[in-house]
Amino acid sequence: MSAQSATAIQRSQVDLLDFIDWTGVECLNQNTGHSLSNALKQGYREDEGLHLESDADEQLLIYIPFMQVVKLHSVVIIGPEEEGPRMVKLFANKEHMGFSNVNDFPPSDSAVLSLDNLKGKPVVLKYVKFQNVRSLTIFIEDNQCGADITKIQKIILYGTTVETTDMKGLKKVEDH
Amino acid sequence: MVLEATMICIDNSEWMRNGDYSPTRFQAQADAVNLICGAKTQSNPENTVGVLTMAGKGVRVLVTPTSDLGKILACMHGLEIGGEMNMTAGIQVAQLALKHRQNKKQQQRIIVFAGSPIKYDKKVLETIGRKLKKNSVALDIVDFGEEDDGKPEKLEALLSSVNNNDSSHIVHVPPGPSALSDVLISTPIFTGDGEGGSGFAAAAAAAAAAGGVSGFDFGVDPNLDPELALALRVSMEEERARQEAAAKKASEDAAKQEKGGEQASSSQDATMAEPVSSSGPGADNKRADLTEDETALLEQALAMSMDDPRSSQSGGVSVGDTDMSEATTEDQELAFALQMSVQDSAKDTASQNDMSKVLGDQSFMSSILASLPGVDPNDPSVKDLLASLQGQTEQKKDEDKPPSEGEK
Repeated sequence: MSAQSATAIQRSQVDLLDFIDWTGVECLNQNTGHSLSNALKQGYREDEGLHLESDADEQLLIYIPFMQVVKLHSVVIIGPEEEGPRMVKLFANKEHMGFSNVNDFPPSDSAVLSLDNLKGKPVVLKYVKFQNVRSLTIFIEDNQCGADITKIQKIILYGTTVETTDMKGLKKVEDH
Repeated sequence: MVLEATMICIDNSEWMRNGDYSPTRFQAQADAVNLICGAKTQSNPENTVGVLTMAGKGVRVLVTPTSDLGKILACMHGLEIGGEMNMTAGIQVAQLALKHRQNKKQQQRIIVFAGSPIKYDKKVLETIGRKLKKNSVALDIVDFGEEDDGKPEKLEALLSSVNNNDSSHIVHVPPGPSALSDVLISTPIFTGDGEGGSGFAAAAAAAAAAGGVSGFDFGVDPNLDPELALALRVSMEEERARQEAAAKKASEDAAKQEKGGEQASSSQDATMAEPVSSSGPGADNKRADLTEDETALLEQALAMSMDDPRSSQSGGVSVGDTDMSEATTEDQELAFALQMSVQDSAKDTASQNDMSKVLGDQSFMSSILASLPGVDPNDPSVKDLLASLQGQTEQKKDEDKPPSEGEK
């Protein structure tokens, strides 16, 4: 199973970083000094000193819209051993969720992160549930040691794109 | 200019009947609400504002966040005062209303008017605050009305648990003569996190300044109208300088006119009494400085002041003073010349009328009389004759005197 998932990642799965619509990216309960960009953006996430941190309590709600429809295969979440996230729930195509209605819907997928996951082992998702994803919501419910603050070093999304019309490429048809 | 959805939580509990804010606490609150709505809508036309009441029968949303100012003002009408404020429920309902706002891009903000005493303890308030922070809702608290023990501390604790990057504020308004709205205008609640007064806030501030409560000099916002503010300041300084010069002149006038023996007629009262001796050079300076309406009077006084040293030199010809004031008009040399001529003619007349001549004649006459035999100059009749001779010689000043025998 793990061998299969490993090959699955190598096979045409792309880092979906390029398809993220940055104008709509939101993160609730993040510490303003340690924001989501530290974990998502190229360059920032490689930096060991920069990480995403929660503010008032240990929960985090991350909303990521995409510029086109994607299929999501797996997710890599890297964080410290103790303050790294534990319970993670993912919601596909649910916009503008808040902490109050997070538990109203069943998640598209959920995972309990192990220490291996926090080191870089990808979490394979239920592919069938993520065939037609316009936006992704990641809800981090608690962390490994039950601390007040959750820290995340890096978030990587792996998947493929779906053939979508690129609106910028459309040209005006000349009237005959 | 930040895009924002605001929910205002009004306290309409029984404590709002009190009149320590004019006219009543509730009315002051309503005015403040109106002003806030106007300011928010003006700073960004896409901003929305909603209102709910916390007391009465229960928490009730009067109007959901809307940019229609008319709706907001209309719903403030006919509100009833009563019951007790339920702040926790009020904030929670406000949060819910904001969550269902139409434009999800708007930032969320709650403004709470806390007029009644707070019956919750700090922990509860802190929990609420943290929840608001977690959902990135900013909170503004207006602490007015009842002053409990511990109310300010509780509200400060609430603020610190909500505050994220100074986006939340608290204002304590003690009861006093200034209206609640006026106090709020200058706070960050109005100015929107120090964006530099929106036009509405600045205009409201100017209006308040006209009423007497001003944060700006001259009631004009330098941000709003720098040229006007500068012009006002410059004219104020000019006026001050002019008044100082006029005061200085008035003191010199008074000193001059004292010497002349007249009451100073210039408007400013002379607080400084300059010594008479220094008035000489002062008078000369005055001559050069004459520009005012009191020119004629000043010149008269000046002429009289110049007369005094002259007349004192000549030995008390006091009549000359009156004559001089009539004679002289503007010319200093002319006055001087006239004075000299008056003095000369005074000498010629014996004791005003050819005095010296008569004296000369008298001695001559007495010597002649003495030389005549049988004539005693001390004889009364001889003296009478001499007196009559004097009368004759007044008429014939330049002629030779005939001998007294001829007269007889």
